[in-house]
Amino acid sequence: MLIFRKPIEGIERPQMPADVVIVGGGPAGMACALRLAQLIDAHNNEHPDSQLSKENIYVLEKAREIGQHCLSGALLDPRSMNELLPGFEKEAPIDAKVEKESVYFLTEKSKFKFPITPPPLRDHGNYVISLNRFVKWLGSKVEATGITVFTGFAGSELLFDGDRVTGVRTDDKGVDKEGHQKSNFEPGYDLQAKVVILAEGPRGSLTKQLISKFDLAKDANPQTYGVGVKELWEVPAGRIAAGEVIYTLGWPLTTKEYGGAWIYGSKDNVVSLGFVTGLDYADPRLDPQRVLQEFKKHPFVAKLLEGGKMIRYGAKSMPYGGWWAIPPVAGNGWMILGDSAGFLNSARLKGIHLAIKSGMLAAETAYHALIKNDSSSATLGDFQKKVESSWIKEELWKVRNLHQGFEHGMYAGMFHTALQMVTGGRGLRNRYPAKAGYEHMRKLADLPADGGAESHLLGAAKGDGKLTFDKLTDLYHSGTKHEEDQPAHLVIHDTNICNTRCVKEFGSPCQNFCPANVYEMVDDASQPNGKRISLNPSNCVHCKTCDIADPYQIITWVPPEGGGGPNYDGM
Amino acid sequence: MPDTILVIVEQREGKLNRVSWETITAGQAVAAATGWTLEAAVVGSGAASIVAEVAAKKVAKVYAVESPKLEPYTPDAFAAGLKQFLAAKQPKLVLMPHTYQVRDFVPKLATAMGRTVISDCIGFKHEGGKLVFTRQMFQGKLAADVSFTSDAPWFATFQNGAFRGDKTEAGASAAPVETVNVEIADGVIRNKPQEVFKEAKQAVDLTQAEIIVSVGRGIKEQKNIEIAKQLADALGGDLAASRPICDSGWLPMDRQIGSSGQTVAPKLYLALGISGAIQHIVGMKGSRTIIAVNKDSEAPIFEIADYAIVGNLFDIVPPLIEEVKKAKAGG
Repeated sequence: MLIFRKPIEGIERPQMPADVVIVGGGPAGMACALRLAQLIDAHNNEHPDSQLSKENIYVLEKAREIGQHCLSGALLDPRSMNELLPGFEKEAPIDAKVEKESVYFLTEKSKFKFPITPPPLRDHGNYVISLNRFVKWLGSKVEATGITVFTGFAGSELLFDGDRVTGVRTDDKGVDKEGHQKSNFEPGYDLQAKVVILAEGPRGSLTKQLISKFDLAKDANPQTYGVGVKELWEVPAGRIAAGEVIYTLGWPLTTKEYGGAWIYGSKDNVVSLGFVTGLDYADPRLDPQRVLQEFKKHPFVAKLLEGGKMIRYGAKSMPYGGWWAIPPVAGNGWMILGDSAGFLNSARLKGIHLAIKSGMLAAETAYHALIKNDSSSATLGDFQKKVESSWIKEELWKVRNLHQGFEHGMYAGMFHTALQMVTGGRGLRNRYPAKAGYEHMRKLADLPADGGAESHLLGAAKGDGKLTFDKLTDLYHSGTKHEEDQPAHLVIHDTNICNTRCVKEFGSPCQNFCPANVYEMVDDASQPNGKRISLNPSNCVHCKTCDIADPYQIITWVPPEGGGGPNYDGM
Repeated sequence: MPDTILVIVEQREGKLNRVSWETITAGQAVAAATGWTLEAAVVGSGAASIVAEVAAKKVAKVYAVESPKLEPYTPDAFAAGLKQFLAAKQPKLVLMPHTYQVRDFVPKLATAMGRTVISDCIGFKHEGGKLVFTRQMFQGKLAADVSFTSDAPWFATFQNGAFRGDKTEAGASAAPVETVNVEIADGVIRNKPQEVFKEAKQAVDLTQAEIIVSVGRGIKEQKNIEIAKQLADALGGDLAASRPICDSGWLPMDRQIGSSGQTVAPKLYLALGISGAIQHIVGMKGSRTIIAVNKDSEAPIFEIADYAIVGNLFDIVPPLIEEVKKAKAGG
């Protein structure tokens, strides 16, 4: 019997007043906190008699340590960092400056180099970074300002008063598998905040609660996502230069799936490579972790990695939907930042600089709210205007229709992309519509039994233990760890659908799309199809793919007990 | 008359809970800061030796609070008895160690007296005539200063380790002892204590085991674990498992081997129906000899096994048990 996590009811919770609570200590949240501290310090210098305090500004971060759950390629466009901390390059952990870039189209055995690098993928002036180390550094800057970062505490619920967000409830600690309080039980805190800022990363769980409560997405395109599955390798010297950037399109994907790979040369012969698979593929048997394994088998990649060693693994979803998929980002008591809002440029595969910029703009708005002592939508709505008049919109507007153009495959996508490039992002019309990714998934009955052209992408990877790995071996290298004795944090609203319908109609795609082997169909003779859904929540790497890709939309990812999750280092 | 601080010493069946010394040290420190008088109380009968031990410390007085109804311990009796005692003595501040027993009865006691408790404190401050207690929040990331706004008596409990139990000051001479009998009416005690439950200390310490028989998913059903147990018994070894078995509740968690369980290195590790995911391997790869039984010849466990048996464990294990028994009988 599966018991799912939910806040314990009928208990008294400690109440704590706060000025600003930022949920999520990633690049957006940390930039927001840092900018807010800068503004308050400047204010306090100028106004000795009306001092503002930073004591009641908090960042909640579910990871045990700052940056531990952050994963990206990653290339940093320094534009926003130059605004936030001019001269940051001198002290930030930067692995290399991009010196060389190339884009290839792969077929099964060959590669074709694009004669010129398409403008969005020109990365001169950008930096190769490890996002988790970068955020760790940024977090230390935040802590030095006197703002408290509560690591190991997740935002588990939003608190409301009518149409106003009034605070955040943190996770209950010390709850056992059956949902009972253990001897170390500690109820979550109710942080009663004037301003709540959601910076949870893609598919944030509180953001999801907020969007659904106020139907915020009603005028936006449905958000579409990809999942990036990443490995870090140590390779023999001379294979790739630090600062060399390679993008590939094509193999192992067919023309029907959206996605591509990155290979970044970092310092000390470390290579970051990963494959982003659009979560709008048709065949439920497709496995994004398998896609990465197949990609590595391509002679071009295999040669690069030969004799090397895989040292880290991880996965994270990313929002592709672009400008039209962004919901309102400010309201009564709340603002949404970064990937939670959808500030990601899918043509450039970059969102860190936008996340940081959005955090800075939200900080300016929050600062005014504190000065005016008004955090209603009248004041916070200013964040919406700031985003629209900043270079965030300027950058995203040009690619507003990019991903929608690929909904009908690669060839149509390339046509639309070319057209959009010469029309300032417009293409055939100002706003291309979109369908949510899971709606593209097709039932097994409508697909070739052998998988057809996609057969090499379907089902679990076996792995040779050298170049390719089965999922559990990969997963081991994520370092993920959770308290085992706690309710499942993958909340399935109706497991009957899993056991009766999904197993027949889609063949339980959760087993395939989850890059961490959380979902498993186990034998159970008492079930109509002889299979029953079983969960291994402690394997979870917090990528949110299940919440996004499940064709019935019955999975809700909620944060597990704070402190649990992957242990990314150098990712 | 100056205000008094009363420390309630914890004893159970004539045994002192050593953390009480820390609370007396805390009481002495508060007394030194405030100039208040420190007294102590030992609750329950048959604690004469504890009373004497406490009286030897630097306290003004020790009360032995007694009633036949205080034995055995029940939260109802403690709350009722102490309420009566405190109402009569009117201390300003009541200090207790933050033990399980105190956590059990003190909310009831404080509520019955219309007071609140500042619990699990790690220290105190006496600033400008105001007594402030420090508590941890957010798992120790923040320290909050809390003070009482209500009338006395004030209740506070101190966290284990907040003060030094070995630094309790001894008194110049033994403090006077007063026995106070409290009346606890019939019907007050609604709790019926059962025999004190002691969690069975796991007899098995897998890290010390010389022979381990470990089962994985290949065992199929909970009832089949019995044959692995028989093999372990025949060999004189211990039973262990991979994560899915413990996760299903078929064996207790402390028998789990692997990255989220124990790490073992026995002389012999017999893996039955374990595929050998890296998460399991890291917990047992140091074993001197590994024998693996699995029907999948490509199972990764075979890469580290010294002896590989490809086959159905249900065909292999029963005759193996018989052979082990025979060999042992013959030897």
